[in-house]
Amino acid sequence: MHKHIVRLLGLIAIFALISIAARAFFTDDSFYQYGHYRGNSPAEIASKVPKVKGSASCQSCHKGIYAEWVGGIHRKGTKDGSIRGLVVKYGPNCEVCHTAAAGNHPSKETMPLSIEDKVSTITHLKQHTHATNVPGKSLLLSPEDARSVCLNCHEKMPGRPLEQKQIEIERHAGVEMCVTCHNPHSPKIDFASVPRLVAMQKVIPGNAKAGKEVAKNCAACHGVAGVSLSPAMPNLAGQHAVYMDGALRAFKSKSRDNVMMSTLASGMSDADMQNVAAYYAQASCKVTGGDKSKIVAGKSKAEEAGCAACHHSRGLHGSGLAGVSASQVWPNLAGQNADYLASTLKGFKDGSRYHSVMTSVAKTLGASDIDNLAAYYASVNCK
Amino acid sequence: METVFEHVTPYIGYVYPNETELPWSELIVIYPYITGLVAGAFVVSSLHHVFGMERFKAVSRFALLTALCFMFFAPVPLLLHLGQPTRAFNAVLTPHWSSAMAAFGYVAGFYVCLLLLEVWFAFREDMVALSKSKKGLMGKVYRAITLYSDDVSPAALETDHKIARILAMIGIPGACGLHGYVGFVFGSLKTREWWSSDLMPIIFLMSAIVSGVGLLIVIYVATCKYRKVVPDNDAMVGLKQVLWASLCVVLVIEGLELLEIVYKAREGIESVMDLIKGPIWAGMSVQWGLSLFSFAALSAMMVWKPNGKHLVILLFICSLSLMVAVLAMRWNVVVGGQELSKTMKGLLIYYPTWIGRESMLTVLILFCSPFATLFLVTQLLPPWEDKKSHATHARLVTSKSAHQVKTGQGQTMEAH
Amino acid sequence: MMILPSEEEMTDQDKQKIEEDAFMSRRGFLGLLGKCTVCAGALVTATSSANRVLSGDKGATFQQSEAQHIESLKNPPKIPDYDWTKHQWAFGVDTDRCIGCLRCMEACKAENTVQEDSSHHRTWVERYVYLEGSDKALVDSQADPKNIQNVRSETKFRFDNRYKDVKVDKAYFVPKLCNQCENPSCVQVCPTGATFKAPDGVVLIDATYCIGCQYCVQACPYGARSFNEQRGTAEKCNWCYHRITKGLNPACVDACPTGTRVFGDRNDKDSPINMFIKNHRVQVLKPEMGNAPNVYYLGIDREVS
Repeated sequence: MHKHIVRLLGLIAIFALISIAARAFFTDDSFYQYGHYRGNSPAEIASKVPKVKGSASCQSCHKGIYAEWVGGIHRKGTKDGSIRGLVVKYGPNCEVCHTAAAGNHPSKETMPLSIEDKVSTITHLKQHTHATNVPGKSLLLSPEDARSVCLNCHEKMPGRPLEQKQIEIERHAGVEMCVTCHNPHSPKIDFASVPRLVAMQKVIPGNAKAGKEVAKNCAACHGVAGVSLSPAMPNLAGQHAVYMDGALRAFKSKSRDNVMMSTLASGMSDADMQNVAAYYAQASCKVTGGDKSKIVAGKSKAEEAGCAACHHSRGLHGSGLAGVSASQVWPNLAGQNADYLASTLKGFKDGSRYHSVMTSVAKTLGASDIDNLAAYYASVNCK
Repeated sequence: METVFEHVTPYIGYVYPNETELPWSELIVIYPYITGLVAGAFVVSSLHHVFGMERFKAVSRFALLTALCFMFFAPVPLLLHLGQPTRAFNAVLTPHWSSAMAAFGYVAGFYVCLLLLEVWFAFREDMVALSKSKKGLMGKVYRAITLYSDDVSPAALETDHKIARILAMIGIPGACGLHGYVGFVFGSLKTREWWSSDLMPIIFLMSAIVSGVGLLIVIYVATCKYRKVVPDNDAMVGLKQVLWASLCVVLVIEGLELLEIVYKAREGIESVMDLIKGPIWAGMSVQWGLSLFSFAALSAMMVWKPNGKHLVILLFICSLSLMVAVLAMRWNVVVGGQELSKTMKGLLIYYPTWIGRESMLTVLILFCSPFATLFLVTQLLPPWEDKKSHATHARLVTSKSAHQVKTGQGQTMEAH
Repeated sequence: MMILPSEEEMTDQDKQKIEEDAFMSRRGFLGLLGKCTVCAGALVTATSSANRVLSGDKGATFQQSEAQHIESLKNPPKIPDYDWTKHQWAFGVDTDRCIGCLRCMEACKAENTVQEDSSHHRTWVERYVYLEGSDKALVDSQADPKNIQNVRSETKFRFDNRYKDVKVDKAYFVPKLCNQCENPSCVQVCPTGATFKAPDGVVLIDATYCIGCQYCVQACPYGARSFNEQRGTAEKCNWCYHRITKGLNPACVDACPTGTRVFGDRNDKDSPINMFIKNHRVQVLKPEMGNAPNVYYLGIDREVS
């Protein structure tokens, strides 16, 4: 053969040998083991550390809240609480509303990197979900943000099945925050479990006997037994102790401004306030009565406006006592002076008095509504 | 606003969220275009080497060099497109044969080797002559590439020619495979309505030939102008015929494919029609407009048989428009197919980027590079057979072979 | 009990009778032996295939040779406390329950470090709305620019309430994710073998081997795959393989507050997914593609594909 062909063939042979050797050398040993892929790959993928931890992992530090959640509707296996053999999920777990445990919780160290993470330097944005007040991280700021967490699931939207509780936020709460009435960990307003912010105020034990002494100074306007002499002054007998204590403190700090009461309250110590509140709480209440012609209208208006959500011992749907508030923090209205009630509502409406819920509620009331409501609650049995 | 909207493709209707970034864009448009040019140029060279058509003699060696230079740059757009280019050899180490793309490493590699070998055999006589006539570094280079053999005996040259012929014969199905598989990559995907077609490999192959022949004409005329030589008339006529014939086939098959989609009117046909009337309307107009114009012009030339300067000018214009038309066709297929959403309920509108790794600038640089390389290679291995050629002169001086061209007497015009 | 006459007194007839009464003759015994062998052979084959069926072994998976199949049974990968021969994972989606809250998307993006923008999703939710009097659905997903504008960020996921004041006839949400098909188009077209169908039913991506050609992204009929620029590889939902091999659920299944997503082992008779499939009429997306997906949908409409 011609020498150039021989040399060419030689070159080709060398090239081929190098290629074959390189291929054998560079191919991963575990390739073709289970199929046309690296046999080591499934184990590598499975070794990645899970990030989302599950609600049980939150329990060790957040026992109280976990207990609330477990008992509440945001957790139950099904709507009626039973566990069926089929699909069982109902309700968000901790990481759905709060950030995932991995990477965003303030006390956790960085999760160990997995094989996927090692390949690049992806950093996950920290404001991934809408966490509430995590110390050191200002993740949730405005009330809008806070509401948006709940509205994400509960905003009324076409496409959502009717089993899902949905609201139109303006009609439901105006500008109010959800957590004012609902405990996000157990949001069904069942008055055995009080709303969260309210529950942060402890129930205050006062000494009724000591309070009787203090009450002597109040009798001039509010009557000896807490039944006031003037229609414009509220009855105190049978009122919730926590509410009264809160009101006194508000007068003292002038967050609730009334010239007379603020002056008086500024002279009272904390103990005095608790005691006098306890005294009046156990005093016997009296039904003042209101304009009979307005009672029926007032009752229907109360139903329409949903006053019972707070000012009813069993809430909106239970059967209990109207006008007796379910929470110690909210005032009883049953048997209260109609004039006082009316002026209070007017005060909420015109802004001279502010309360997160009552202000927006009062704005929806007309003048006649206010009179009707006052008449109704003034005549409700307070026992 | 913390968004990364820059790379999101705007769309109308509904598309899957993952579709808003087009996976394949400019680089994947230019890749089949370049391999197509290779296939087309190679076919012309084979017409001479395999089928013995003498009229292509003037351009056949040049066609080989063109094919080779463009083939060097064929894998480059793919390499630039890969997310992990350093792992590109995985497809060669463990090719997954159920994937058409796995064929690329081997087919392209095989084809590069084939072209190198064929160039080597076709130019060996010249290389030997140049190794003797050149001095210094270049002389050393030439001696090295001749593998230090200066055997140009008639027997050796006879063997060379035989081998070159066999290689060219292998190269024809090789070219079909090289470009057909690209068509198969698109045509075999049942997912994309605009791509899924049995005719796709043939469409790609035939339009590749059109573009390749067109390229050859354009470069040949340009280089003749540069060298101040008259383009060989037989070659021009022959190229005209090949161009016209392949264009006929292309128009028929592309038309057929379009007709089938419209006629069958499967579910989602409204989206397909919206695609044609919308995002790719400009591209389709360029593709069909230029193709039909060139077809008309070429048909006229087939009838009226112009010669000399007229032929050259007309053919040049047709070739240039066909090159653009085929590029538009690649764009319409690759990008157009992705602009039709898999939901069949939406259309995306792709705007190319101008600067970056995958951008029009890269494409431009990538497309100019083979021309530059070709220029350098023709300096190294001049392919010309006419008087002005160094190699011919050198060959005349040193070789006593019967393959000598009769020079000094001009070339007779063959009837066409 | 038979009283045999003593040997001396046995007549030929007796001997013949004894012979007949004996359990079987030599010829009969050989015949029986032959039959037993055949039966045994059949029994062995039958029980082994029955065993395979009972143990959930469906034979070789997609593009797996018989030898590789046997190797995957005998020598499974060393995943702690997990044997992939014992599981066949499947997924269910009950769209009657979906409220479009997108917490599943959040959980997935957090769990799998998915790129934080609107073009990369391992799972997503679509909304179909029929306005009053219209027969054609208006479809959008959370990646729709209007939804992103509404929430002012690509990293917060929320459907806007654009149909709040419009009369709507019918509307529903459809979560989507990778269907982990039995005949995956994506595996078929991968040029290197970086994506593959594991014997326990999940289609996985080997991120250290993928070259990022994006052919699989093109091939998926469901749009489940995307290209992760930061990693330079393809990416898709893998049913949180790293979680399910540890006995956990995929992150999206755990996150869903309404029980829309169901996950389980088809080899386990009482698993949620088996109950789901048994108790409902389920369907899959784009069955005409021939991919045989493993995500079963309940309550999807004709327009959903």
